[in-house]
Amino acid sequence: MTATTRAKTNYLVTVLGGLFSLLAGMLITLRNLFRRPVTEQYPKSKPALSKNFRSAIALVRFEETQTHDCVACMQCVQICPSFCIAIEGDKPEGLKRKRATEFHVDYALCSVCGLCIDVCPTNTLKYSRVYDQVAYRRDAFVYDLLTEFRDAEVAYLEKARQEAAAKEAAKQAAAAARANKDTAPAAANASKELEND
Amino acid sequence: MPTRAKAGAVSERQHSKLGDAPLPETYHLNMGPQHPSMHGVLRLVLHLDGERILDVDPVIGYAHRAHEKMAEHRNYLMFLPNTSRVDYLSGMIYNLAYCQAVEKMLEIEVPERAEYIRVICSELNRISSHLLWFGTFLLDIGGITPFLYAFDDREQILEILDRVTGSRLTYCYGRFGGLTEDVDTTFLDQTRAFVKRLRERLPEYHALVTGNVIFRGRCEGVGVIDQHVALAYGVTGPCLRAAGIAFDVRRAEPYGIYDRFEFDIPTEQSGDALARYKVRVAEIEQSLRIIEQAVAQIPDGPIMPDKPKKRFKPAAGELYFAVESARGQFGIYIVSDGSEIPFRIKLRTPSFSNLAAMPAVLPQTTIADTIAIVGSIDVVIPEIDR
Amino acid sequence: MFNQLFGNIWLVTLASGAVIMGFLTVNALFLVWLERKLSARFQRRLGPTEVGFAGTLQTLADAVKLLGKQLITPRNADKPLYHLAPVIVFMPVVVGVSLFPIDRQLMFVDLNVGLVLVFAFAGIGFIGIFMAGWGSNNKYALLGAMRAVAQNIAYEIPLILSALSVTLLARSMKLSAIVEAQSTLPYLLFQPLGAAIYLIGAVAETNRAPFDIPEAESELVAGFHSEYSGMRFAVFFLAEYSNMAIVSMVATTLFLGGYHGPWLPGYVWFFIKVYGLISLMMWFRWTFPRLRFDQLMSFAWTVLVPLSLANLMGTAVVLKVFRR
Repeated sequence: MTATTRAKTNYLVTVLGGLFSLLAGMLITLRNLFRRPVTEQYPKSKPALSKNFRSAIALVRFEETQTHDCVACMQCVQICPSFCIAIEGDKPEGLKRKRATEFHVDYALCSVCGLCIDVCPTNTLKYSRVYDQVAYRRDAFVYDLLTEFRDAEVAYLEKARQEAAAKEAAKQAAAAARANKDTAPAAANASKELEND
Repeated sequence: MPTRAKAGAVSERQHSKLGDAPLPETYHLNMGPQHPSMHGVLRLVLHLDGERILDVDPVIGYAHRAHEKMAEHRNYLMFLPNTSRVDYLSGMIYNLAYCQAVEKMLEIEVPERAEYIRVICSELNRISSHLLWFGTFLLDIGGITPFLYAFDDREQILEILDRVTGSRLTYCYGRFGGLTEDVDTTFLDQTRAFVKRLRERLPEYHALVTGNVIFRGRCEGVGVIDQHVALAYGVTGPCLRAAGIAFDVRRAEPYGIYDRFEFDIPTEQSGDALARYKVRVAEIEQSLRIIEQAVAQIPDGPIMPDKPKKRFKPAAGELYFAVESARGQFGIYIVSDGSEIPFRIKLRTPSFSNLAAMPAVLPQTTIADTIAIVGSIDVVIPEIDR
Repeated sequence: MFNQLFGNIWLVTLASGAVIMGFLTVNALFLVWLERKLSARFQRRLGPTEVGFAGTLQTLADAVKLLGKQLITPRNADKPLYHLAPVIVFMPVVVGVSLFPIDRQLMFVDLNVGLVLVFAFAGIGFIGIFMAGWGSNNKYALLGAMRAVAQNIAYEIPLILSALSVTLLARSMKLSAIVEAQSTLPYLLFQPLGAAIYLIGAVAETNRAPFDIPEAESELVAGFHSEYSGMRFAVFFLAEYSNMAIVSMVATTLFLGGYHGPWLPGYVWFFIKVYGLISLMMWFRWTFPRLRFDQLMSFAWTVLVPLSLANLMGTAVVLKVFRR
């Protein structure tokens, strides 16, 4: 083979190879033309949220108390890298621990790192499953987490107050009984039973 | 018209800013920060003669969020969500890298199972990053369809990772000593299925793109970063390996449990855009190999230490820790003054060095080549600006 | 046909103009929908689905939206050129469409230099594109316009040379005569190389991928029409899709035998062929990456021009030797 014919064959190979590569590409797109589209028609078909989906935090509702268990320890406020949690709490009448009276999360700032959930000592924080929040104003993303617990919280505190009051009454009764120990030993026994409860 | 005179004066000033007297028949073109293919907010000030580039000046800083400064005002844990936002395309790798750096500093032992999960998730993240790069690179040189095919595959990864980490892009999955969530058998099955699926799809990509004569014409011999330039500018990652230097942090300074897996370091000799393309596609295959091995070997056990520490207070000192991100060597330099708050965290991000080589590569190419070259080095601007 | 109906040349002109404008608008609306739908399916998406059946009215809705958009004129634009450009781009298209034999008895004007006129008017559009690029006072637009002109000059030569081979075969430049000459066999069979060159040239002439460098989105934002908004932008769009129809009509007339075909009526065949070719061009666009400008030019000057010249010479020699 002379040099020129070799060059010609190379040229031909290049041109035909190029043409073939174009046809191969077109074959791929043609094949995909007849495949099923993979589009998820979002507002019509809602996506299934994943198992561990992370969104704004929410408070856990516990079975036995029917309310949250935020004790306003402020650990989540301190660890939050986005400084988006604001909690206020006080010690309600009849409870030994503090309770949250205000719990605001600014989801617009939140970076869903989950550090607050990690540090929570009472495990009362969880991820909510909100995924389609839109608003015209930033402050619409400031969530008041206690809203859904208002009634339950009132009931819980009332119950706690009553229990504490009952306990207090029993205590006073016992104290009174102790004072009258000599005269009425039977009453002292009764108050002992109450304390053991 | 007065306005025209004013416009002329502006260009005069720009000429004199470059030092020399205004060159006739040349002009400046401001490409970016808002431009369809500047990958976010990169700005290139091009000095052009017709379509030929005489000089280029990359301007960065439009996505500066002061991540490093933020680190100096919060404790070690609180810097976690920042890491995945430095490079949002390989957030998992960055997040876990930071965890590993702090663990090294505090000498925390990581459970076996967590190490394996970290490898699987990192490699999945690397593949998703490379797939996105594949799509956007093709988009840069005008091929729109491959972009959507790549995103279809990438979606599978995002779903797998979403299921375990709860996020699709900016993961905050790592914790010092382990991870937030354990994986289940479904995750492993999904990962296996994905490896199989992508292996079947890659030949399709090759037929559609790699072999395409137009694609090869656009990439072959374009934007050659040779070994000399690469080393001089500190180019790492696929760009360095495309220049023929088989440097990969996973092999050079193995971290985590990467020394347990078999994988090759794909290299090319020519250093052009096509070589970078080939290296990345080959890396996808290697990542699939690593995932396959990790999924097969993953042991049972805890994912956090038995007694995780609550407070992280490294002794005064400093530490440099590097991993191989999808774009190259990502290094974390931590200086501790013994308190709970880092004294300084410096992030060595690969795209910064890779982009820095551009003024050495771009002159004498055309506008179209500029797009192809900047696309081929795979810059992530927020990662450069930090 | 219209002559018999009206008899008055002005009425005929007006009526034809209205029909052509109507056709061009519907054509563009349909083609945009087709392009979006086809590209979606190539990419495994759904495309427009909401407005009308299968999204068919989506482009109409978009057109209405564009009507309502503000018309922005850049501050330092060369206003006469800037405002005139969309008109100059669009008007030749109207003339172009009127020249084609859609059926045996259905064509607006039947000139004996029809083919020349088609190419002549196709060339005018690029003046408009250059006016748009220059008048916008935008470097990207100017770059796009310069690319467009250079590309047009380069690709018109092989385009016309391959068309010339056909006129040698048909011995006429009258479009109806060329179609009639293909009543038995289309010229595609005699001129495969010419047809291939024409197809490549046609894709380049209409600035479509892989030759869409004048408006290369990833390089020049939107090229020559970067600064146009609202209806002015829509007119460029209309012209682009109308141009696609015209080059496909030329190809149908020259190589595919126009309205000839079995069973179906002539105009059906004509439109099947035209829209088939357009779909092919769309298929190209959604498969290939874009060429670089210098590659495009060297491809035109070193491959297409010599090939089309050789094709023309070969055709002439063969005809001289074998035809009585």
